[in-house]
Amino acid sequence: MRAESKVSGDLQDALSKGLLKRIPLTFQPFVNQQLNQWDNLFPNERRSTERLLLFVASLSLEQSTELFRSVVEIEEKMGVRHWQFSTSEQTIQNSSQLASSPYFQDWRRAVQSVFDAADAYASKLNGNAVQSERRLVLLHIPHNLPLDRTTVWRRWPETRRTVDLDLSPIGPSQDALGLLLMGSPPDAPTRLRGLLQIARDMAGTSHADTWVVDAGRSLVDALVEHAPSPESERRAIFLSNGRLDLYRQNFSHEMNSMRKDLADADAVFDRLRKVDVSPWCPPEVNADPAIREFVRSLYLTGNGAVIFGNSFVQWASSEGFRRARPRFLAAQFGVRSKPKPFTGVAVFDNPDQINPLPAVDDLPGSATDAQMLALYVWLAANRYEEYQHSTVCICVAESVSQACVVAPPEFSLGDEAKPISLARLGSALESWIA
Amino acid sequence: MDTELCPGAEMGSELVIDPGSLVDASKRRFLHATGMLLAGMLVPKISAGQEPHPLAGSGHRVVVVVIGGVRRDETFSAEGLVNIPHLSADLLPQSLFFPHARNEGVTAHFNAISSILTGNWQRVDDWGKLAPTTPTLFEQFRKGLRAERSDTWVVASNKALTSLIGASSDTNYGPTYGANVVFPKQLMLQAVVDALRTGRTANMADRSKVEAELENAMEGSNYEGLGWNVFDASNQLDPRVRATIQTAIANFVRSGGPTSGDELTFFMSREIMRKFAPQVLVVAFSDVEAAHFGSYSLHKAGIQTADRLTHQLWQEIQSNPDYRSKTTMVVLPEFGRDPDGSSTNGFFNHRANVDSTRDTWMLALGSAVDRPKVIERPIRHIDLCPTLGSLLGCPALEAQGQKIAELRG
Repeated sequence: MRAESKVSGDLQDALSKGLLKRIPLTFQPFVNQQLNQWDNLFPNERRSTERLLLFVASLSLEQSTELFRSVVEIEEKMGVRHWQFSTSEQTIQNSSQLASSPYFQDWRRAVQSVFDAADAYASKLNGNAVQSERRLVLLHIPHNLPLDRTTVWRRWPETRRTVDLDLSPIGPSQDALGLLLMGSPPDAPTRLRGLLQIARDMAGTSHADTWVVDAGRSLVDALVEHAPSPESERRAIFLSNGRLDLYRQNFSHEMNSMRKDLADADAVFDRLRKVDVSPWCPPEVNADPAIREFVRSLYLTGNGAVIFGNSFVQWASSEGFRRARPRFLAAQFGVRSKPKPFTGVAVFDNPDQINPLPAVDDLPGSATDAQMLALYVWLAANRYEEYQHSTVCICVAESVSQACVVAPPEFSLGDEAKPISLARLGSALESWIA
Repeated sequence: MDTELCPGAEMGSELVIDPGSLVDASKRRFLHATGMLLAGMLVPKISAGQEPHPLAGSGHRVVVVVIGGVRRDETFSAEGLVNIPHLSADLLPQSLFFPHARNEGVTAHFNAISSILTGNWQRVDDWGKLAPTTPTLFEQFRKGLRAERSDTWVVASNKALTSLIGASSDTNYGPTYGANVVFPKQLMLQAVVDALRTGRTANMADRSKVEAELENAMEGSNYEGLGWNVFDASNQLDPRVRATIQTAIANFVRSGGPTSGDELTFFMSREIMRKFAPQVLVVAFSDVEAAHFGSYSLHKAGIQTADRLTHQLWQEIQSNPDYRSKTTMVVLPEFGRDPDGSSTNGFFNHRANVDSTRDTWMLALGSAVDRPKVIERPIRHIDLCPTLGSLLGCPALEAQGQKIAELRG
C-alpha cells in the first residue's frame, strides 16, 4: 500500500500484519481511499482513520468478527460479492448499488454502530480534551442582501440571542467581516488586533484550524494582500469562490460532457479525480495539496458548489467541519445572478457564455439563500461533538444591523441593552478565542 | 465519528422526527380552514361532451401531477402555505386530501415515479437505464382495455427520467403497451447546446428568435436525442405530434411569461390534452429540484411555479370538454426533502430515511371524489396505481399497493 510508509508506526505495523483482511467488503473502498490519499488528508481525518483501524487492530480475531458481524451478514443479503463493486475507492456506482438495495438502511445502521464503537474506544483512551477547546464560527451576510428583521433568525435554535449592532462608523467601502478579521487601522479609536491573527496564534493549531470562505473574491483578495508574509498566509485556509473561477469553469465544462449513465459518470469523475488542477488554482490553494484536493472533492460532490457562490460557501464550510474540524471558521455570503430567460435551465453551463443578456443581480433571492445557508453552516458544525460545548457561532446580518449569537453562557455578549459597535463585537470575539 | 462510507449517512435518531410535520396547532388551523372552504364547493358534475374517439374501459380520465421533491415545511404547513396559494386555497377545498402519502421505497426520481406508476416499490437504476420491473399503469390500461398509444402520455421536466419510464420490462407487457414519453425541457437544453455549437447564442437572448431555435432543436437532429419515445417513431416525429409541439412552443415563447422548464412542460401537456385528449396523462414538474444546487429561493420559486401550473392544468380540465366532469386529477410530490441539519445537507437532497423525506401528501380532485375531505389515514405512493387502474376499469393486477377506498368512479 502506497501510504503505509507515511502512517504512524502502530498503524503501519497493524497493516503489515494483514489488518485490512479483517475489514468487510463495503468498508474497503473508504479505508483504501483514505490510506491512498494520506498526504491529502487533514490532520483530523488522519486521526479519525487511524482511530478506526487501530481499534480493529486492538481486537482479537473473534472480537473483530463479532464487531463486523451485522455488516457482513447484510452484505451477504445484499449480494455485494456479485456486484461490480470497487474496493479501492468510493464510486458513484458503489453508492448507487448500496442505495438501491432493500437492505440499505439496515446496512447504514450496522456501519454506524461500528463507528460508534470506535468512537467509544477513542474516548476511553483520550478523554474529552477536544470538547473543551474554544471555537468560533463567524458568518457574515453583507449589507446589500435585504433581510427582514422579524423573520431572519426564525429557524435558528431557541437558545439564540440577538444583538443589535451599531454599524454606522463603517464606511461604504469597508467590509464588516474584513475589519473583524484583519483588525482596525492603527488610528482607530478602539484597536482590534484582528481575529485571523489571533486564530493563527492559538496554541497547538495547524493550518487546517483556521478557515476563511468567501462567496466572492474581495475578502480573500484583501487577506492575501495584507498577509504579513507568505508564511502567515499558509497558516490558514483561504477559499474564495471568485478566485477559483478557472478551476470551477474547467470542472463544470467536464461535467457537462457527461452522458447520463453510471459508467460514464464514473469515467468522467475518474478523469476529474486525476486531472492536474494546479494550473487552475490561485496561489493560496495551489500551495497545499490537501487544500487543492479538498476543492476538487468539493466540486465533485456537488451540492451547488460549482454553480452558486453561496452554495460554495455552505458546502465548503460543512465539508471543512466534517473533515478538518477547524477551531476558527469565517464565512462570507454574496450575490448570485437571476437565471436568464430560456437558458436558466442549463445551470451547469456558464450562463454568460450561453446567453449574452447582461447578468442581473438577484438580491432578494440571494438574501433568502444566504439566510438559509448561514443556518446550515451552523447546523453542519453542530453535528460534531467538538462544536457542541465551547463554540460561539455568530451570524452578522448587516442589512438589519443585527447579529444572531449561539454560544455558551460564559460568552460575554448577548444581553446588550443598546446596539453595540463593531469594535465591541470584535473585542468580545477576540477575548473568546485568545 | 462521521460514517463517511455511508452514502447519505444519517446521524442521530432524533432526526427520525420530521420537523416539517404539521404540529398540532397548525394542523388544527389547517383543518379548520379546510372545513370552512368545503361548503357549497362540490365539484360540478356536467354531462360529457362529444368524444373524439371511443373511450376505453370506464371512460374515466386520469391526470397525475408529480412535483419533484418538496418538504411539508415548504408546502402544507403553517409557514409553507404561502408557497402554494392555489393548491391550498383553490384546489384543496374541492379535494380529497391525504396529509400523509408515504414514499417507502427508494427516494430517487426514477424509482419514485416508477413506483407511483406501477403500484410496486421499484429498485432499478437511479439513472433510468432500466425499466420498471412490473407493468405500469399505461401498460395495464392499454393491454387490459385495448387502448391506443395516443391515450397514454408522460410529459416530464425531470432530467433523471428516461423514456423507459413509459413501459416495464415485464415480458407480458412492455413497450408495445407503453406510453408516449416527452421531455420538453430537454428540447430547451438541446437548443442551448445547438446555439452554443453554432455560435448562435445571441438568439437565446432574443424572444423572437428562441421559437425558431426550439423548433430547430426538435427537427434538426434525430429526435431520439431528446430522450423521447413517441408512437415508436425511430427517426422522425409523427406529424400530429410535431404540430402539437410547435403550437406548445409558440404559446410558451409568445406568452411573455416565465420561461422555466416546467412552464414548457405545462404548455406541452396542455397542447397534448387539446390535440390527443389522453385518458392517462402524467405530468412531472421539476423546477423545485433547483434545491440540489443549494438555492432555497429558487427551490421555493419552483414550488410556487408548480402550484400555479397545477392549478392551470385543473382549469384546463374544467374548460376542456374532453376532460370536464369525467376526470380525476391527483397531485403529489415524489418525496419530501431531507431535514435541516441532516448529514445529507438538508433541503439540497432527498436521501435521508426520515419522515421529512418520506412522508408527503396527496390531493385528489374531480370525478372520483364524492365530497371534499381530509383523510388522516396514511397512504402509500404505491396505492395510487391500483386506485387509478380501478377508476379506468383496468383488470386488477397483483401489486404491493392497495386501492384507496375513498377514491371511486
